[in-house]
Amino acid sequence: MNYVKGLKCRECKREYPIKPIHVCEFCFGPLEVNYDHEKIKGNLTREKIEGRPKTMWRYRELLPLDGEPTVGRNVGFTPLVRADRLAKVFGVKDLYLKNDSVNHPTLSFKDRVVSVAVSKAKEFGFKVVSCASTGNLANSVAALAAEGELESFIFVPHDLEQGKILGTLIYGTNLIGVKGSYDEVNRLCSEVAENYRWAFVNINLRPFYAEGSKTFGFEIAEQMGWKVPQHVVVPMAGGALITKIWKGFKELEEIGLLDDVQTRIHGAQASGSNPIISAFKEGIDWIKPQKPKTIAKSLAIGNPADGFYALKTIRESGGSAEDVSDEEIIEGMKLLARTEGIFTETAGGVTVGVAKKLIDKGIIPRDESILLSITGNGLKTQEAIQDKVGHPLIIEAKFSEFEKIVTPQQKRFEEVPLQAAI
Amino acid sequence: MGVRVRIPTPLKKLAGEQDIVLADGNSVGEVIQWLTETYPGLKERLRDEQGEVRRFINIYVNDEDIRFIRNLETPVKEGDQISIIPAIAGGSSLRKRVTLTFPPEKIKEPIIYNIGHRFKVVTNIRSANVTENVGWVTLEIDGEEGEYLKAINYLKEIGVKVEPVEKDVIV
Repeated sequence: MNYVKGLKCRECKREYPIKPIHVCEFCFGPLEVNYDHEKIKGNLTREKIEGRPKTMWRYRELLPLDGEPTVGRNVGFTPLVRADRLAKVFGVKDLYLKNDSVNHPTLSFKDRVVSVAVSKAKEFGFKVVSCASTGNLANSVAALAAEGELESFIFVPHDLEQGKILGTLIYGTNLIGVKGSYDEVNRLCSEVAENYRWAFVNINLRPFYAEGSKTFGFEIAEQMGWKVPQHVVVPMAGGALITKIWKGFKELEEIGLLDDVQTRIHGAQASGSNPIISAFKEGIDWIKPQKPKTIAKSLAIGNPADGFYALKTIRESGGSAEDVSDEEIIEGMKLLARTEGIFTETAGGVTVGVAKKLIDKGIIPRDESILLSITGNGLKTQEAIQDKVGHPLIIEAKFSEFEKIVTPQQKRFEEVPLQAAI
Repeated sequence: MGVRVRIPTPLKKLAGEQDIVLADGNSVGEVIQWLTETYPGLKERLRDEQGEVRRFINIYVNDEDIRFIRNLETPVKEGDQISIIPAIAGGSSLRKRVTLTFPPEKIKEPIIYNIGHRFKVVTNIRSANVTENVGWVTLEIDGEEGEYLKAINYLKEIGVKVEPVEKDVIV
């Protein structure tokens, strides 16, 4: 069942055996898992995949575990929905959402990467798993470490949203709130990783961890009937997801499960944390680190680890990149909730807002198929919309009181037109 | 000529086991050229097949990333310091940059010499200003975590104010 040849440097292509390492000793480039695609091609068919349980593990030949997963066995295969009401507002024909805001168990796409990383950590024999996180990763590592009976140490910026703090602590982890930005947390973790033999899912296990993101792309392709949309809009923080969705499509093409991938991949960031967008717009291929300031805290990474490759993905696929303000993010969250009934976190607001911008600018043609990547759940970032969505109307428990507040239009029991509800 | 070039730990043995190499050149490109001619083992580690500096190596001149200046054409002069730093952390020892502020009564003491002498750390002054009444030094300290922490604790005990330098964010 194992089709992994080893690790390979993404830059100089030097090969390494499977170990918990992430940097090439020779050129300092990042390492990536290297598969025997020829062998997979002969062994994996659409029918074989379709006959398996509806989880991300139905693509296990393209994931870097030696054995069966030991945690997160039910992760993935989240709904892919047609979004006709949102399409109407955007003025487009063919719009889809891949909805990881209901991913199992911690309501974000991070469960995909963490279930691979923690299962791999157990294969390596680690006793402690750890991570630097903007919140979603923290929730997922804490939950899956609990499931895997491992100790966990989780490092986050100390000023995270309450939902993400509580949603981590409940699992009985060691949560460290670091006084600093995510980039400072990450740097601290790199130092800790050098001095402790722990499995840092997004540092020394990064090559394995990142592979989990490919399943987001695999599922899109399978759920659309083994084809891919013409446009995919992806929120970017560290830049790994966008890179791996593209890699996922390309891999399916390589092993013969998809023909002719022509998708244009578009990157989305918040204006207050847009190092990848800035580089794209300036036409350079390196990232100027920033100090992020945005309500989209899950995307607030000023020095993205995979920024270079995210840029490369956008350019290679013929895609584009945009950013949106905090107000536009909130509008995006409200719009998605009020058209499609999906409450996404701030990152989802970024994706919706950026998609709208790219459509309005004519960069995404209105008659082509578009997929928006919804990666996290709105219940985790409630602070962001506090006072932005109105208040309940408080009344005495009397019918006459209710009569006072109901409008004549509401009295007629007519359907409220969609436009009015937005 | 003397441009100081700081060699990252993984490349030290290719540069004659030196942390700091005194190099020649009027620009970063010339200094890199000089380095790879003087220590041929460094060539393939610093440059790719096209001769470009490898993507995951960052070069700083006096703390400023050369991509923010003029890349390899960035001019350098005697006394400047060039740092070659892998973009992704992965080495085995710590390198931290701190600013030390000395109380007036300690200005005349050889504190930096002392920490290098007492603990297994390598110190490297990046910038400094010492007068009769005030003294501060931005110092790079290289060493195992335990030794680094001992050095920092010693500095604090003798009344030196120790602050991390924020700018040096390398992930």
